[in-house]
Amino acid sequence: MTELLIRNACVIDPINDICGEIMDIAVRDGKIVESVGSGAEVIDAGGSLTMPGGIDAHTHVCGTKVNFGRYMSPEDMRAGRTARRGHMHATSGYSVPTTYGTSYRYSAMGYTTALEGAMAPLEARHTHEEFAYTPLQDMMANTLFDGNWPVMQAIHDGDIKRVAAIVGWTLSAVKGFAIKLTNPGGTEAWGWGKDVSSIRDVVPHFEVTPAEIIRAMIEANEMLNLPHSVHLHCNCLGKPGNYETTLETFDLVPNTNDKRQSLYATHVQFHAYGGSSWRDICSRSEEICRAINQKPQIVMDMGQVMFGKTTTMTADGPMEFNLYRLYHNKWSNHDVELETGSGIIPVYYNRKNLVNSIMWAIGLELALLTDNPWQCILATDNPNGAPFVKYPEIIALLMSKRYRNGVFQTVHPDTEHNVPLAALDRELTWKEIAIMTRAAPAKALGIVDIGKGHLGEGADADIAIYPLNINEIDPAKAPEEVIRAFGQTDYTIKRGRVVCCRGTCMVDGENTTIWVNPRISENHSMDHDPEFARNFDKNYTIRMRNYPVQEEYLQRNLCIETEARL
Amino acid sequence: MKVTLEVRPRRKPHLPIEAEKIVPRTFFEETDGLSVFRGNKELALEEIFSVAIEGEAASVDGVEITILGDSSRIKRVGEYMDGGRIHVMGDIGMHCGNFMSAGEIVIDGNADAWLGREMRGGTIRCHGSAGDFCAAGYRGEKRGMRGGTVEVFGDAGDFTAETLAGGTVIVHGNAGDLAGVDMKDGVLTIMGDTSMACANMSGGRAYVHGTVYDMIPTFRNIGRETVGGDVFTRFAGDIANRGKGTLFIRNYKYMD
Amino acid sequence: MKKCDVICPFCGCLCDDLEITVEDNRILGVDNGCTLANAKFMGKERLTSPIRRTDGGWEDINYDEAIRYTVDMLLDADRPLLYGWSGTHGEAQCIGVHMCELVGGIIDSTTSVCHGPSILAIQEVGHPGCTLGQVKNRADVVIYWGCNPLEAHPRHMSRYTTYADGYFLDNAFRDRTVVVVDVRETETARVADEFVRIKQGGDYAVLSALRAIVRGKGDMIPPSVAGVPRSQLERIVRMCKDAKFGAVFFGLGLTMTKGKYKNIRNAIELVDELSRHTKFTITPMRGHWNVYGSNEVFTWMTGYPYAIDFCRGIAFYNPGETSAIDILARKECDACMIIGSDPGAHFPRKCVEHLADIPTVVIDPVPTMTTAMANVQIPVAVSGIDAEGTAYRMDGVPFRVKKVIEPTLPSDTEVLGDMFARMKEAKGL
Ligand code: SF4
Ligand SMILES: [Zn+2]
Repeated sequence: MTELLIRNACVIDPINDICGEIMDIAVRDGKIVESVGSGAEVIDAGGSLTMPGGIDAHTHVCGTKVNFGRYMSPEDMRAGRTARRGHMHATSGYSVPTTYGTSYRYSAMGYTTALEGAMAPLEARHTHEEFAYTPLQDMMANTLFDGNWPVMQAIHDGDIKRVAAIVGWTLSAVKGFAIKLTNPGGTEAWGWGKDVSSIRDVVPHFEVTPAEIIRAMIEANEMLNLPHSVHLHCNCLGKPGNYETTLETFDLVPNTNDKRQSLYATHVQFHAYGGSSWRDICSRSEEICRAINQKPQIVMDMGQVMFGKTTTMTADGPMEFNLYRLYHNKWSNHDVELETGSGIIPVYYNRKNLVNSIMWAIGLELALLTDNPWQCILATDNPNGAPFVKYPEIIALLMSKRYRNGVFQTVHPDTEHNVPLAALDRELTWKEIAIMTRAAPAKALGIVDIGKGHLGEGADADIAIYPLNINEIDPAKAPEEVIRAFGQTDYTIKRGRVVCCRGTCMVDGENTTIWVNPRISENHSMDHDPEFARNFDKNYTIRMRNYPVQEEYLQRNLCIETEARL
Repeated sequence: MKVTLEVRPRRKPHLPIEAEKIVPRTFFEETDGLSVFRGNKELALEEIFSVAIEGEAASVDGVEITILGDSSRIKRVGEYMDGGRIHVMGDIGMHCGNFMSAGEIVIDGNADAWLGREMRGGTIRCHGSAGDFCAAGYRGEKRGMRGGTVEVFGDAGDFTAETLAGGTVIVHGNAGDLAGVDMKDGVLTIMGDTSMACANMSGGRAYVHGTVYDMIPTFRNIGRETVGGDVFTRFAGDIANRGKGTLFIRNYKYMD
Repeated sequence: MKKCDVICPFCGCLCDDLEITVEDNRILGVDNGCTLANAKFMGKERLTSPIRRTDGGWEDINYDEAIRYTVDMLLDADRPLLYGWSGTHGEAQCIGVHMCELVGGIIDSTTSVCHGPSILAIQEVGHPGCTLGQVKNRADVVIYWGCNPLEAHPRHMSRYTTYADGYFLDNAFRDRTVVVVDVRETETARVADEFVRIKQGGDYAVLSALRAIVRGKGDMIPPSVAGVPRSQLERIVRMCKDAKFGAVFFGLGLTMTKGKYKNIRNAIELVDELSRHTKFTITPMRGHWNVYGSNEVFTWMTGYPYAIDFCRGIAFYNPGETSAIDILARKECDACMIIGSDPGAHFPRKCVEHLADIPTVVIDPVPTMTTAMANVQIPVAVSGIDAEGTAYRMDGVPFRVKKVIEPTLPSDTEVLGDMFARMKEAKGL
């Protein structure tokens, strides 16, 4: 039995409705408890801001595509290198750090849980291998279904139960967490070098539309009773005028679940563009947020862009090719048979560039125009909009109008004619930031019940103590204090242990992989479906028996079993 | 300030010594407690060199370092050099003058690979020959050397001035395969021969006074032109890459 | 007993449909595999105990002594080299990286003598690729450049290209056009629809010419480029542009000839150019069954795919300087541990001589050419036969290779794990 007592913590815990109370937090064996004995280890927080550990609801940190981003970028690797020290292994990289680099830097910022945004089922073993080397965060994997052949065939046949059965089988086979759709239908078209340009386009050969895929998957998701909703990267990413596609997509979404949203729309900044070309691109954040404010069934994340160097990587192969033609930098692409695609290019977001400046503004506008912070999560689609180490600056931008104005002065002068940002006076509160960085991600991912995102009794003792007194610091006036404090915790506590103290990681760590296993009746299981097996072995280049991720890849793990309505 | 470093004999003479501290700025700022690395072992500078320092310097440009003895395995001398002078009496190891921005390095002997890698300014003169990747870039980086001058009086190895993006590179002897490959800007001059010169170049100018063997077939022949009294054939390219580079060649041979 | 869907730990194809007959913990037969697979599974005599060189021969020692020798050797060295890794599974490679980081050495895989140049090229221009199933199901044009799959990857054509069924092709064998580009007419060239014979060292020029033709600048190309008539180049370009899905595979004939990594860069840029017209992909024909795994593991753990120098604590990467072959040729290491490869058979003499001069430990189930240079050899179970673990196919798809018989010796993971534990102890960690 190990016990820990955090004294004098100034706690913000939105899920339990605690906002800035000075209190003690008791921890026993990794969980939050009512009280502990006198022998407990004591940390005096001295009135510092204390919150549940941060949760990144959409980030790219582990797996084939991320690793290819590293592999092709020795110039990025040398931009951030540290030597082995104490419990910390050597690290390399800035925008796509090594797994240890990612883990240590997130931990220093108080993040204890992350969702890998895109895992191709065929390559799931790779993602899980990297999870094992991301020791200080609990990990989950969004599983890609945007171009899944058997799924599209079942949708074409109108057999939603079969869709659900295939999805359920795949998720538990690859130890995935949720359904991810990246440019649904578009990635299959990209197998022929083509794309879809609206949600009504027909996917070649399979004769389904993105809209049909999205609707069917939302339905299947609820049939499977999954903790998270469908996690969608909308069609037409990065294209001027794409906000219409985004709004049309939002209109497809029913309100089917009273515990959480029915659709998670990711990196919406990249999907909120007006205009018809790069010359007249403009912000449509107002239209997008109007829709979000009317539709509680949708939660989004910002997909904030920050100026500087980064690497873009997504399963959206055709989009990356378009970017390549724009930037002429190096381009990688990796299509995955029967499932999905992916692409990678390095980019530099330049504040002197009008398009980049507009992108920067839109992300902030989404956060400022969304009435309910539970519906807009803070994320950069790491590393696509910016490396996650920029989160503290984003927080400061959202909390300080003055700081925002200061940066606005430095961007392309025409930006103000194309975005509403300058007119927005809202400054987010500490509580709203806490919601956007831990409480809302936990709720949206459906992991509150397993003890994430809050500090109530029974919750996981994942805690971040920031060197900041919220009663003394006015974030609107002292943005640099905000940036400093959110950049490095005094203590990051994971499962009741101090894992990181002022930037130095204290333990080797061992994370938990969270995955789902929907229980499906025998007669719907793909394991007993000869047609599925026959097509599998015929079309894949891996035998069906060799496809599932073996137990060996899950060290510590938490399986969420659900009852499927099948 | 005159700094004289004489390389002492070593028990394992082939193991490289990493000596990025050997740069005028270091000695200008602090002459005590300097160290170099032999593999994973950090050693006092004095263990590898006998060190003599005379006089003072008012600025970094007043520091002159002379290296004597067998310095052929001493790497990274003059890395990030921003002023002053280094004189190598013999051969020098890899990465001499990496990222150099000002000052002068003179090498009496040969230089190993990556001489003046990603250089920004200043001058390097090598009186012997240079190894591969002389005045070149780094893995994965689009732009290599961006400014300054590298002059090699002997031959240079393969990939000389690869991804050159500025500055001047002169090779008085021959250059190996693919001199000026992927160059973007700057000026490359080769007095002798080379092969596959300036493949995939997208900008800049190159002059080859000898013969280019295995000439890349995707350069457009613009015609004869006299430069400094010599008659060259002028090429534009590389067409394979929408390139806008210019290549002047005395003689060339395709692999047909 | 027959074990089904067994994965072949021999070449980068990682065929996973083998059937192995096992009786009494002995392999009696291999079905579905090629001759290379057969040879691997049926195996030669293995060592049964660690051995140490004595004055005139070898003596058996126990694992404890052998491991202690290796640990001391690595801890004492100023610049130890940890080389090989392509013949072992990912879990062992991970421990190798941790060991290297701890002792401050250099870690490199066989990549530096096979597809290292491909990686250098990818680092300059990226890599438009795909998994092999994309090729199998879609490709109507397949180009093998500087490789001879019928010899080196015997089932590549039957599983993934020419002879494989494809979902979108009615009659895959008839509907696919196969082009072979090489300096001599290989066995693969003889079964191709079109053979392009290039003069030795002319790959770069031919690739440049193809790129220019794709861009509509064919008029300026000389009538013959490195032995290939312009008319043939133009025909190839037409064929590529008309393809619905084109796939290029390339081998050491492109990476290890004049031009080296710039050849690959040129090939990739040709594929980029073709991607503006139709779907095109390119894939290196990785040799060792898990050489790609070594690149994957090294990358997520160190940031770089091979040739990583940890002597200064941070990871430094510079192939040509930090690659095993260059380090050995220049005598720039003072101890070497070799696992899962046989440099004695493939490296230039200069390199092998240096191995003989410095303390060298080989971890390998069987005596190899490298054994002759070793001070100690530690036999281990064979990954994919009596040890299991992760391997990455040439296209990046990870598999778990299996154990078809029970091991009598420790696995790579166990031996390295033991070494690493002792190193940590010696360092007070
Ligand atoms: S082709 Fe390669 S992987 Fe397949 S059976 Fe033969 S040796 Fe094994
Ligand atoms: Zn994403």
